[in-house]
Amino acid sequence: MTTSPRQWTSIEELAGDAAFAERIAAEFPVAATFPPTARRDFLKIMAASFALAGLTGCEKSPFVAGIPYVDQPEAALPGVPRYYATAVTLNGYAQPVLATTYDGRPTKLDGLPGHPATLGRSDVFMQAAVLQLYDPDRAQSPTRAGAPVTWTDVGAMFSAQRQDWQKDGGKRLRLLLSQTTSPTLARQIKEFQSQFPAAQLHVHDASGERERIANAIAAYGEPLDLHYQLDACSVVVSFDDDFLGPGPRQLLHAIEWAQARRRTDVPGIHLYCADSIPGATGAVASHRLRAAPSRMSHLIEALAARLGVAGASAADLSEQERHWLARAGAAIDGAKGGALVTAGLGTGSQTARWAARINDAIGASGQTLKLTPPVANPGIDVASLGELVTDMDNGQVDTLVILDANPVYTAPGSLDFVNALSKVKTSIHIGLYRDETGHRCNWQLPLTHDLESWSDARAVDGTATIIQPVITSFYDVRSRHQILAMMFGRDEEADALVKETWRNAFGDSFDAQWKKALRDGFVAGSTAQAQAKPASGWTEPAPSDVDGLDIVFRLDPTVWDGRYANLGWLQELPKPLTTLTWGNVIAVPPAWARDFAVENGDLLEVDIDGRKVLGPAWIMPGQADNTIGLWLGHGRENAGRVGNGVGYNAYAVRPAATPWTTKGSVRKLDSREALAITQMHHRMEGFDFVREVSAASPSLPAPSPQPSLYPPYPSAKNAWGMVIDIDSCIGCNACVAACTAENNVAVVGKAQVEMGREMHWLRIARYYTGDVENPRSYFQPVPCMQCEDAPCEMGCPVHATVHSPEGINQMVYNRCIGTRTCSSYCPYKVRRFNYLDYRNTPEAPVEPVHNPDVTVRSRGVMEKCTYCTQRIQAAHVAADKDNRDLHDGDVVTACQAACPTRAIVFGDINDPNSEVSKLRRSGRHYVLLDELGTRPRTTYLAKWNDGPDSEDDRT
Amino acid sequence: MPRHSMTQIFSPAADTWLRLAVVGFLSVCGGSVVGAIGFARSAYVTSIDNAPHQPVPFSHRHHAGELGIDCRYCHADVEKGPKAGLPPTATCMTCHSQIWTNAAMLEPVRQSLVENKPLRWVRVAKLPDYVFFRHDIHIAKGVGCVTCHGRIDTMPLTYRAHAFTMQFCLDCHRDPTPNLRPADRITDMTWKPAGNPRDPGGKIAAHVGIRFGELTHCYVCHR
Repeated sequence: MTTSPRQWTSIEELAGDAAFAERIAAEFPVAATFPPTARRDFLKIMAASFALAGLTGCEKSPFVAGIPYVDQPEAALPGVPRYYATAVTLNGYAQPVLATTYDGRPTKLDGLPGHPATLGRSDVFMQAAVLQLYDPDRAQSPTRAGAPVTWTDVGAMFSAQRQDWQKDGGKRLRLLLSQTTSPTLARQIKEFQSQFPAAQLHVHDASGERERIANAIAAYGEPLDLHYQLDACSVVVSFDDDFLGPGPRQLLHAIEWAQARRRTDVPGIHLYCADSIPGATGAVASHRLRAAPSRMSHLIEALAARLGVAGASAADLSEQERHWLARAGAAIDGAKGGALVTAGLGTGSQTARWAARINDAIGASGQTLKLTPPVANPGIDVASLGELVTDMDNGQVDTLVILDANPVYTAPGSLDFVNALSKVKTSIHIGLYRDETGHRCNWQLPLTHDLESWSDARAVDGTATIIQPVITSFYDVRSRHQILAMMFGRDEEADALVKETWRNAFGDSFDAQWKKALRDGFVAGSTAQAQAKPASGWTEPAPSDVDGLDIVFRLDPTVWDGRYANLGWLQELPKPLTTLTWGNVIAVPPAWARDFAVENGDLLEVDIDGRKVLGPAWIMPGQADNTIGLWLGHGRENAGRVGNGVGYNAYAVRPAATPWTTKGSVRKLDSREALAITQMHHRMEGFDFVREVSAASPSLPAPSPQPSLYPPYPSAKNAWGMVIDIDSCIGCNACVAACTAENNVAVVGKAQVEMGREMHWLRIARYYTGDVENPRSYFQPVPCMQCEDAPCEMGCPVHATVHSPEGINQMVYNRCIGTRTCSSYCPYKVRRFNYLDYRNTPEAPVEPVHNPDVTVRSRGVMEKCTYCTQRIQAAHVAADKDNRDLHDGDVVTACQAACPTRAIVFGDINDPNSEVSKLRRSGRHYVLLDELGTRPRTTYLAKWNDGPDSEDDRT
Repeated sequence: MPRHSMTQIFSPAADTWLRLAVVGFLSVCGGSVVGAIGFARSAYVTSIDNAPHQPVPFSHRHHAGELGIDCRYCHADVEKGPKAGLPPTATCMTCHSQIWTNAAMLEPVRQSLVENKPLRWVRVAKLPDYVFFRHDIHIAKGVGCVTCHGRIDTMPLTYRAHAFTMQFCLDCHRDPTPNLRPADRITDMTWKPAGNPRDPGGKIAAHVGIRFGELTHCYVCHR
């Protein structure tokens, strides 16, 4: 093995900045600011703490109320979780979940096991949806001009309006929807159209689903969904298509990519990714080319020419571009039908047409690419938001009903939706929050959360889920189906409307099929049927380049299009690659930053056609030259107490015509903004944190046992261990979000994160190697290593952290007196300290989301990953009651359950046949900071280097 | 040069006073520790032998002792989940819709049923919120009700028989053998093993698969 290249986390570290070195040398950045005399004060104060340490157990044991049921339902067992199959939605697509409820309150969502598309895996949005249920800033009753009204008033308003609508068939009525896949909503919309035939429907979705369909029309002549069959691929060439990045399709793609990657002993799939703003796909790609978005149509045409597609010609290409294309072309030739070419949303219809023609030429269609009629908005003929704004401006709209959309915030700045809305006589907003749109509409009608609703939706593959409520609504809210029925003058039960839809589909066996669908969480056999359709779009030569910087819009990886801005869990989740929390940045390429002397945090002003927005700069290693990245979803005014005023609002400068890529200019201002970046927190001292193998040397040297003065620890029957495959990690954060939800991890806020006090038990460390212009990226999830010879245990003066017979390094909150010695002894920096009381008051509305099986930690206490000990204990109890041994798979940690790529495997290392034991015997197995001799139970599998920088390629 | 007589700073008794002060100080220190521990273990703090006021003066002596109703008739979840469960009003009414139907003492029970409002009992047996105790596993492994709750069948008003200190739990977790009983004697308040309790206990422990040595680590009860 050769010496591995230097691994770095930030440009400051790469440049050898002295301030940076000082910052990471401090155990906690906040402690570094103590004045020199503080140590003495600290000891004085701690003397009192030591003296009082034993007295915490001396409170009088009070008598409290015990409140039984009046008539206990047969299946209700207090303290025993019950599980319900249902779904939450993202962009209208079902995200099938298994909801855990304790005593009737949902506390955790996991992916739904057995679902044909998502296979029980989850993403960050799915994990956080349960927090939104309890959000106290949700709209709690209908309002008119901000004043609460009753649903009777709403009914009266609708019946008065209906008389007007019926006079002219609803000519001056408009319905603006967000994207939907709900069969019940589709049925109701058909009824709406038959009742008010002249009323126009519009769909607005800020997250690009309309552009996706527009690209399909350009490429195939009709609206279609493109389903990548990544498990059938051995080569994928992506043109700015971050298909492993966040969004409704991430799960499906990540699952299949990981399956393909593990198909054989060496990686079974290779990605060739031309990337403008670095994303997950580029980060795991074997061969990444950084290229500005305006280059994509040239590049794909050149690839088409290389593959002999008629009408294509290779234009001027740089040396790097030619090299990458030659490799990609050769790989496609070698894949023999197992190849796929994909084009990103922002690359335009021309690139989509070329992709379709190449896929036809290389035999991808029907094999690695399946086409289906669109899953979303079935049979609904809709117009765009732009047409609506024109009509509103021209005074042609008297009544506007906005269903579950927030166009005042998410409409492109070029449309000036706010001004148009003021010309509408009656505006009715139906939504979960009284958001920016709700504030500006005459009426705001609150919706039920998905977890309180009867509804239905389809997953991205078309599989339908009947959404059933797991709790009755807390607030005076109604489901979207009930509110639409009110528009027609009917007051209906929420479940009746959904049952009516499915009664038609299920026919005579309705009762049995309905029950089965509710229990399974999906309707069997409802997956969209593939159809064959040749590429029919005409192609033309790529347009010549226009001067100016390419401005790229991306959706925020944690708050998405802004709809999750009020969820603290998601705001505090470090975004992949940037590790930014609480806000968004303007990503600039390193060369541009050098030219204009821009540093991280400098305020920049972006100007697009005279519309301006300010935001802090972030120098993004590997970003394409001449490209600037903006993230949508922040800068909200009426998100709620958590999300208001976080970051800048990129929608304000977004052009409606080219919403994903446009041209503009950027200038540096003379001020700075502090960024809550976590990449420099919890730094380890050492080297070779991430290791690589390649086809030429597929095994790492076996770890040599380190000598130890401590006797080997006697093990119980089970010895828990975890193996994390960093080759499969796409940095999606699902594990961190799942851990937050499972283990009651506190949200601390931006100021605390800036001080390095974030509480996540699991961090996804991100490393780079190589040149800042185009580095190789690595994601490494780091939970507690559960060392067998744990330094923290030696350090604790009060035995608050001790070893269990099963090898878990236990943290006892009640003993902890907060010396933080364990954390300074920990070489992996996985311990987190409660500097402040981050708990809610017991009356807080979000309190019920806590997992009742895990302690909510108070101030002054150290905490860390426990390997989800509550799940281990629950499995032990279940097995012990049956008097049997634990089987492999009885204990699944929250992070393991969430991971879409199955990169995290947990189990019993005493059992030689457990999955984790098998992985520990892999040639890629290695121990983090092996040289310290801590003998961690959490270990890693090295990343495959199958790109141009691999050893086999260097020769 | 006149001899200067040295003034005595300390009187002859000073030494004694010093000794007394040292002894006194140490006694106060030691006494405080003993006192604090004694106070923490006192019935005042642990609330043992203290029967709180209940909305209905329910007598376990009458129901469990004299009538011989099995514990699980009312505490029905005890084998299935972490909580034994307080009986719902409907359970009381299985009998009291037939007998003592007009007793003034039972008025709150009838009212609860009519108004569909739960009775608010005062919990007698309670552990701190950082203890994650489960009834079901204790029952499954042969720990009887009486072991922790005492002679409930003799209590006219229910009181805490044992202080649920960590010591109390650990004594048994370290050495469960003498406290195990056959499955059919779990709710029996008077059962005593014939002879040495270790003999039947050892057999039961082997039969139900007690994981000796693993029951004392922190995460068994705290997490």
